[in-house]
Amino acid sequence: MAGGRFSLDLARPSRQHWLGYVLLTPAVLLIAAIIVYPLFVSIDLSFQNVGIARLDQPRRPFTLANYERLFSSPDFWNACWVTLKLILVVTSACCVLGLATALLVNNRFRGRSVARLLVAMPWAVPEVIAVVIFAWIFDSSFGLMNWVFLSLGFIDRTINWFSDPDAAFAVVATTMIWKGYPFVSIMSLAGLQSIPEDYYSAARVDGANALQRLRFITLPSLMPVIGVTTVLVMLWIFRDFSIIYVLTGGGPLKATQTLSIMTYEQAFSFFRMGYASAVGVVTLVICVVAAKLTMRRAPDTL
Amino acid sequence: MKISTRSMLLGGLTALALTSAALPALAQQKTLKFVSWQKDERGVGDWWASVIKEFETKNPGVKVEWTKVERGAYADTMTTLFAGGKPPEIVHLASFEFQKFADQGWLEDLSPYIRTAGLNLDGWAGQDACQWKGKPVCIMMLYFGNIFAYNEEMLKKEGIAPPKTWADYVAAARKLTKDTNGDGIPDQFGTGHETKGGGGQYLSELMNYTLDAGGRWTDSNGKVTINTPQMVEGLSRWKDVVKNSLTPRDLSAGETRQMFADGRIAMKLDGPWLYPIIRRGKAKDQIKIAVPPFNPPLGGSSNILGMASEIPAESKKLVWDFIAIATSDKFQTDYATLAASTPPSPRAKTDGAKAATPHFDLLVQTAQAASKAGVDRIPKGLEIQYNEFAKMIMEESQRMIIQDLDPKVVAATMQARAEAIQKQ
Amino acid sequence: MKQSLPARLVLYASVILTCAILVFPIYWLVITALSQPDQLRQLPPKFWPDEPRWGVFAKILAERPIFLWLGNSALAALGAVSISMVVSVLAGYSLSRFRVRGGESLGLFILTAKMLPATLLVIPLFGIFRMTGLIGSMWSIILAHATLIIPFTTWMLKGYFDTIPRELEQAAMVDGCSPLGALFRVILPVSAPGLAATALYGFVLSWSDYAYARTFLTNVQDNWTANLGITTMKGEYISNWSDISAASILVALPILAVYLFLERYLVGGLTAGSDK
Repeated sequence: MAGGRFSLDLARPSRQHWLGYVLLTPAVLLIAAIIVYPLFVSIDLSFQNVGIARLDQPRRPFTLANYERLFSSPDFWNACWVTLKLILVVTSACCVLGLATALLVNNRFRGRSVARLLVAMPWAVPEVIAVVIFAWIFDSSFGLMNWVFLSLGFIDRTINWFSDPDAAFAVVATTMIWKGYPFVSIMSLAGLQSIPEDYYSAARVDGANALQRLRFITLPSLMPVIGVTTVLVMLWIFRDFSIIYVLTGGGPLKATQTLSIMTYEQAFSFFRMGYASAVGVVTLVICVVAAKLTMRRAPDTL
Repeated sequence: MKISTRSMLLGGLTALALTSAALPALAQQKTLKFVSWQKDERGVGDWWASVIKEFETKNPGVKVEWTKVERGAYADTMTTLFAGGKPPEIVHLASFEFQKFADQGWLEDLSPYIRTAGLNLDGWAGQDACQWKGKPVCIMMLYFGNIFAYNEEMLKKEGIAPPKTWADYVAAARKLTKDTNGDGIPDQFGTGHETKGGGGQYLSELMNYTLDAGGRWTDSNGKVTINTPQMVEGLSRWKDVVKNSLTPRDLSAGETRQMFADGRIAMKLDGPWLYPIIRRGKAKDQIKIAVPPFNPPLGGSSNILGMASEIPAESKKLVWDFIAIATSDKFQTDYATLAASTPPSPRAKTDGAKAATPHFDLLVQTAQAASKAGVDRIPKGLEIQYNEFAKMIMEESQRMIIQDLDPKVVAATMQARAEAIQKQ
Repeated sequence: MKQSLPARLVLYASVILTCAILVFPIYWLVITALSQPDQLRQLPPKFWPDEPRWGVFAKILAERPIFLWLGNSALAALGAVSISMVVSVLAGYSLSRFRVRGGESLGLFILTAKMLPATLLVIPLFGIFRMTGLIGSMWSIILAHATLIIPFTTWMLKGYFDTIPRELEQAAMVDGCSPLGALFRVILPVSAPGLAATALYGFVLSWSDYAYARTFLTNVQDNWTANLGITTMKGEYISNWSDISAASILVALPILAVYLFLERYLVGGLTAGSDK
């Protein structure tokens, strides 16, 4: 084929070519069909009084009732608060644990590759399996945790992990931290390896001790990686369904009911899909804001 | 790992082709779906298996796909299936949850089938409850009364006589709950209830106490009557039992039954389904069965069999065949023996059951006592909203126990919320 | 730098302790599977069962259609990943190499879509699949998983293509290759590790889904995915923790094996997904 017909200089910044559009078309069509259209259906549903979504039936009249009910509902604000609390607790714990483990296995020692593999292993355990593990460890009657805590003298009577709001929240958070920290660890390790060794040698010549090297070289160099990772971890918690739903179903007393769980419960337990979609649209708005913020932070990512 | 473009594309295409080839193949088989929570349940599960076997022998080429869905998620899952337009053809529901399905028009009116087959439902226990807007939309599969089972040896060890009243009962439960090996973790319990999971089960457990205290959710006109001294008393009893952990916590109904059968729980109030579990437990020789110390005993309709309305006519015929087998005299007689329960059919022969189940007369007696007192787990006037109502009661009861609230306040909250649910 | 002996000891001790604590839950899963069910209902717990019942795995394989579940999970993942990879390779290349009108907003949309909770899309998808009769079929789950995977794979591949020097294609085009030919003959072969990492990541995304499987597939037992099968076991009449643990191990094994053998690619995929 003659190269001239496709004369195209990819190095020029203002490159525009019909091929660019052609290549995008399949993705755009598919995304339009399975993401954009459903999103519009969802927004549309949120303005109707719909029990069960049936698209083959005529649209119900427009109403704002779902949103009015939503913003005046204590359950909604509770779900917001639970979501926020979970994000704060789990993200900070994941960051600390992830960074600590990354620093630990970044040292030179025999068996380092095995240690790296082990430290990151929970990442590969499916969430549902992680739930099975922790539901059993925290079983109120025969679980290991009550026995360990009693033996160590932390408590003097057993905790009913799944019928106490604070305890259930702690179980959910523990499971998520265990499942989430390896990601931070993997990312930090990759970041650590890209810090030039010269920095450390220079610092040592200047007489900086280990703590100072951590404070003035390692952490600042890692900051960009940690920033992006933190956002991703937060989003993961924000979106999570399976851990909470299988572990506690959002209970007891809605102590572990996040926005995600609330959406699902309203839609598929009470079959108020219009109302559920309204909750979903709120999460959508949060996502758009988060995406915009991420874009501004790191414009290179596009 | 070096993968060439060609082989990657090829792999992708093969996967796509495989996917599309695998899909229509599944649609070819003639199967009836039957979703039930009773699969794997000892006794009654065996009985269902025998009905399925008979049906498949009679209808070669038709398979019954028996799926288990756990009780806690049952109402939600079934609603999703119906709402998704893919209901199971054979519909098995608890008698307190079918009303919502009937109200949506999801259950077929069975009267033409009953008429054609000449099935005589006179004297069929609990069948009245299956009438929805004047039409029979289901067949009642069990009408029961709770029995009281206790571990005689455990009671004797503490010098306690089998309780006859609530006061005896709670005193006994307190004495029997203890840590036997001294590790600080209680390992023997006075009684056992499910305290997690579905609202329906929670409500049933709780009602053991509210009924004896004279409380009812609604009166005969469907007016909510939770804010009464009797109901407050019932709620305080429940709080007493759960808050003081006289029952193990966070366990499913199945697990508490198993613990009882294995001698870790001393006293248990439950339906006829408890017996087949006891019979295979470690403590089977220590367990005695008696009349509940509560009056009236919890009882009423239990579960129903029906037919999905949005399915092809030929499937409907098959589903009726299935129902006809389950309701035949032979299988009703087997029900008494295999499930050790009171069959709803007046024509079932219970001699064999009486031989196999020593306390069979007791089952009949408590079922009648419950029936005479007009007890049922479905509160009148809240049939359609039952799912939401039960979840609300569970939530408020949990709140009472967790936050140590006054039952009086809780009853008032429940009253208000129940009225709001009713008005929706 | 040579470390002193006490420093080395401290290092080894902390590495071993950390690994022990973090991997303990997995160990406990294995121990639970190997214990007799009634021993699990006794305290103090046994940290190694008296008589490990190795037969539990054979028993579970006989009782539950574990291979069917795994096959369904694999089918869903293969289908969703194949679709996603085809469209994402093209789109990612376009976004990386061409200036397209609306490309910026498409990028923002994809970034937003990456963040959407499954619980938001599951409602309209339920309505759409209901109307088209797809509920219960493998197609419902393949399409639903594609909504999860496409944003990620497009994003990751775009980032990956950005790291490949443009000179490669220019050289190819000088030799008479069309731009499309350059993509297929030059860029894709060079990107094999990136493609593998991306596909693997999509596979993991699909494999870990529970919300869609629960909503669309509950009714059709033959199409249950591994996660759906396991959660059903957990909610059963009597939770037999030993059996559930054994089934969980069998279900987790394939993905753990992938992790152990392809850790490098997975980690590569993860870090390529960030702004690096």
